[in-house]
Amino acid sequence: MTAPSPALARAEALLLASRPQEALAELATLPPAEAVGAAATQLRCAALGQMERWQEVVEAASAGLAASGPDPDLLRHLGRAEHRLGRSQVAERALLDGLALAPQDVELLCTYADVCAANGQTDKAAKLVERAAALRPEAPIVYATRIQVAYASGDDKGAQRMSREFVAAHPEHPAAHALLGGTSAIRGQVDTAYEGYRQAAATMPTEQAFAESALELRIARHPLMLPLRPTLRFGALKTWAVAAAMIFGLRAIGQPVLSAIVGLLWLVFCVYSWVVPPLLRRWMRRNWR
Amino acid sequence: MQDELFSPTIREQPAPGKPPWRPESILYPAFFGGPLAAAALGVLNGGRLALPSRHLAAIGAAGLVGFGARLTVAAAVDGNAPVRFGAMIAGILVSLVVLAFQRKPFRSYTYRGGEPASLVGPGIAAAIGFGVLEAILILVLVR
Repeated sequence: MTAPSPALARAEALLLASRPQEALAELATLPPAEAVGAAATQLRCAALGQMERWQEVVEAASAGLAASGPDPDLLRHLGRAEHRLGRSQVAERALLDGLALAPQDVELLCTYADVCAANGQTDKAAKLVERAAALRPEAPIVYATRIQVAYASGDDKGAQRMSREFVAAHPEHPAAHALLGGTSAIRGQVDTAYEGYRQAAATMPTEQAFAESALELRIARHPLMLPLRPTLRFGALKTWAVAAAMIFGLRAIGQPVLSAIVGLLWLVFCVYSWVVPPLLRRWMRRNWR
Repeated sequence: MQDELFSPTIREQPAPGKPPWRPESILYPAFFGGPLAAAALGVLNGGRLALPSRHLAAIGAAGLVGFGARLTVAAAVDGNAPVRFGAMIAGILVSLVVLAFQRKPFRSYTYRGGEPASLVGPGIAAAIGFGVLEAILILVLVR
C-alpha cells in the first residue's frame, strides 16, 4: 500500500474551503486504484453533497459501499442523499445500518435526527440529538441539529436561544450566524435576523442562500416597512385580535365615531401591508443589480 | 443489544400533491367569510397536509357548529349587527381549530423544504362564496 496521494489532501482542503467543483476535479486526477477507494469516495460524496447533486451522491456512495463494504460515513452520505431525494424510508435503512456499525457516531445520530424531524417525529429526533450532545456537546453539527429539531417542534423561542449559544461557542462558524438569522426572522426580530445573515454571508461569500436572505431582510428593515413590524413581531393573529377588540370595544362603550375612525385606519393599514411590500421588494431588487 | 431509538419508525410519505396553504393565512378569509369558509379551506388544506380523516372531520364539525351558532343568534335576536359580528367571531374560532390541527404538520412540511401555496385567490373566492351562502341560508331558514 502506497501513501495517500497529495491529490486527496488537496481535494480535502478545497472541500473545507467550500470549493466542491475544484475538489471533484482534483479527485478526477487520481489513479484508478485510488479513485475507487473509501477515502476518495467519501470526499466525492461530500463534494457532490455540497453542490446538492443528491442523485450522484447516491450513486457514488452505493458504488463505494459495493466496492469496499459497509462504512458508517458512506452510509451517512447515502442516507442524507436519499432523504433529500424524498425517500425517507430508504434513508432510514441506510442510517440505521450505519448506526449498527457505529452507534456512537455523532454525525450519524444528527443526520438520523434530521430525517426523523422532517417526518414529524420530533420527540425521537430530540432524543437522538441529546444522545449526540452527551458525546460531543460542543460540536457544531450538534448545535445545528438541536436548533433544527427545536424549530421542527415549533419551539421558536428555544431555537433562537440555542442559536445564540451556537454563535457564542463558534463565532467563526457561518452556519451559527445563519441559524441565528433564520430563527430571529421567524420571531419577527428583523435587526438581529439581518445581522445574522450578514455575518454568515461575510464568512461564507460562496453561499448564495445567505446573501439572498440578507437582502430579503434588508428589505424588511426599510423605513417603509416599519408599520408592519408589529405584525411580524407578534404574528397576524394577535395584531388582528387587538384591532378587532379596539373596533368593537369602542363601539360597545358608545363611541361609534372613534370606532369608525379606528376601523378605517385598520383598513388603510391592511391595504398598505398588501400593496407596499411587493412594490418595495421589486424596487430594491432592481437597484441591487 | 437492541436499542429502541435505533429501530425503524419512518413510513414513506405519500407522493407530494398540491402544496398546502399557510394555516395562519386562513384567518383572513375566516374573518371576512365566516365559519363555513374557514372550515372548507381548513378541510382542503388538511387534505393537502395528509391529515388523518378524523382531524378533517373535526374541522368540518367545528365549521358546522360555528354556523349553527350563527343561525341560533339570527333566530334569537332582531337586527343585523349581531349576525354579522357572529360571522367574524365564529370564523375566527373555527380558524383557531384549523390552526390547532395544522400548525405542526405544516411546520414539518416547511422543515422538509416545502413552500406554501398562495391563498389569495382561493381565500377571496371562499370568503365571498361561503359568506353569501351563509347569508342566503340564514335568510331562508330563520328570517
